[in-house]
Amino acid sequence: MKKHLTLIGLLMVFVFGLTIFSGCAEKKAVVKDEAIQEQKVAPTQTAPVAVKDDEAARRAKEQADREAALKEQADREAALKAQAAKDRAARNAAALNDLNIQNIYFDYDKSSIRPDAREILKANADIFTKNSAAKIVVEGHCDERGTAEYNMALGERRAQETKQYLVNLGINVSRLETISYGEERPANEAHDEAAWAQNRRAQFLLK
Amino acid sequence: MKNKYTFNIFILFTFLLISILHNTALAKVYIDIDAPGFQQFPIAVCDFQNKKAGAVPSAEFNTAIADNIRHYIDLSGIFNILDKKSFLEGVEPGTPETIRFSDWSVIGADFLLRGDMIIAGQNDVIVESRLYDVTRGQMLFNKKYLDKTGDLSALARAIAADILLALTGDEGDFNTKIAFVIKKNARSDIYTMNYNASDMKNLTNHQNIVAAPRWSPDGQYLAFTSYKSGRPEVYLRNLKTGKEKNVSSFPGLNLCGSFSPDSKKLLLTLSKDNNEEIYALDIDAMTLKRLTHSHSIDVSPAWSPDGKKIAFVSNRSGSPQIFLMDTDGNNVKRITFEGNYNTSPSWSPRGGRIAYEGLINHKYQIFSVDEEGNNLIQLTFDDADNEYPSWSPSGRQIVFSSRQGSKSRISIMNSNGLNTRVLKENKDHLVMPSWSPKFK
Repeated sequence: MKKHLTLIGLLMVFVFGLTIFSGCAEKKAVVKDEAIQEQKVAPTQTAPVAVKDDEAARRAKEQADREAALKEQADREAALKAQAAKDRAARNAAALNDLNIQNIYFDYDKSSIRPDAREILKANADIFTKNSAAKIVVEGHCDERGTAEYNMALGERRAQETKQYLVNLGINVSRLETISYGEERPANEAHDEAAWAQNRRAQFLLK
Repeated sequence: MKNKYTFNIFILFTFLLISILHNTALAKVYIDIDAPGFQQFPIAVCDFQNKKAGAVPSAEFNTAIADNIRHYIDLSGIFNILDKKSFLEGVEPGTPETIRFSDWSVIGADFLLRGDMIIAGQNDVIVESRLYDVTRGQMLFNKKYLDKTGDLSALARAIAADILLALTGDEGDFNTKIAFVIKKNARSDIYTMNYNASDMKNLTNHQNIVAAPRWSPDGQYLAFTSYKSGRPEVYLRNLKTGKEKNVSSFPGLNLCGSFSPDSKKLLLTLSKDNNEEIYALDIDAMTLKRLTHSHSIDVSPAWSPDGKKIAFVSNRSGSPQIFLMDTDGNNVKRITFEGNYNTSPSWSPRGGRIAYEGLINHKYQIFSVDEEGNNLIQLTFDDADNEYPSWSPSGRQIVFSSRQGSKSRISIMNSNGLNTRVLKENKDHLVMPSWSPKFK
């Protein structure tokens, strides 16, 4: 367990390092862009006066070039920012994934917490306690059998029962949120008992 | 387009009002068509005669109008339309009608529709139609119709409605629509189509989980559940303006139920009080009233047409079953006892019966039962899963969805389970059909 924690610690340091590093890279790229921009823009300010018509056309062209260059730069910055945000989200998700939060499973048309699920919930509650800043979304799911509408209610019931169990284990109720997806988001698309057993579940999302 | 349609209907309606009634329809209902033994009315629909044989456009109009009438009365599910090739008596253009009823009874017709095309111009159509009871040798009605729009199908619908009125006591389900959900992969949206499967239109474009479309009885709104915001919430769509309003976004589950008969209240299932309970939302005042109090799932509420009761699904007795309660939540009574999975209640607009889906021999089938929980009838028997029953406004038909392997269908049947007709068949998942009220 301790070894595991050290590993998590190391991983977090690594993740932080990455964040800082990628932050720098982003800034550098921006500076470079500006340099290019200045080079492009500079000659236009010292250009000599020529024939008037040409002058107007040239100015318009320069203006357009300048705008295009600015837009290009803005686009590049936005793309870099979006990429950075995406990377960050992916790293967060990966870090949360590595927490090894497990789904719990339910019997057909039931929302009561099974004995095997109690152990999993205890382990999950430990993880939630250690990551006390994160909110927890409990997703309730059903298998495809039955009425979609009833299944939405059943999925909610499963999420609520799970939430209550976590509250009883000491998780602050204000951190917990429930959502039911009924039968609409199966984990396994097959149409047999093995798939249905995997689909009757509560799933956890930290955010 | 829609405006034009509305305008056409308006024009037609206006002219129908002032059209000359030679004989008013006999307001006599001949046969109890709801009796379990009832099959279908055998009817012969003749091509209409051209009173002015010289008029060129009417040459197609007179057969087209009869074809349209056949199509519409066939939709009602209560007619057996005889093949015109079997007719013994010819219809001579321009000759006065002398009907030998024996020629019609011998081919099995109980009823006979004949008519004349009086004028068919570019946009003006005047037709006269006469319905006969062949066995009694009696005319049931003789009515003139004038249409200024050249819309033959609207004219045919009006004649078909009069035939139904004469034989059943109500005008049937013409001018109604069916809303339903098409599921493609994990995304779904609501579509509508006319009751003859024509004019299919996409109504929502949420590309998310969308469920439970419900028409308001006044035809103004469609309410439904959507995960558009990322969570299950209830929306109310104004069908005239197309504007959508979020009317329920409490924490947890917000599920659309059904409207009160006066269209002023909408029943919902909410889990905001930590359990799935049924609430009535006053749409104007936006106030909520909680109706159920149990530690079980309470879902899928349906208001009775007399406004006095609510049917709903609850698993309070261990498995999902249909219950009734008063509109204040009192007098809860279970009405289904067969099988251990009964859901999706839909109340007949004429009152008295509730249709629902139940699990039997590993398949979902449609049943109906009376308000006391007696006189249970199984309506579908095939090898498909048949789900989500919804009654037509006349109470004579039920629309439902079925799924068999990769095939998915929206079908209608007579309310006694006979004469199933497929409206739409698709590889996508077609679910949750909901029959509209009658549009004016």
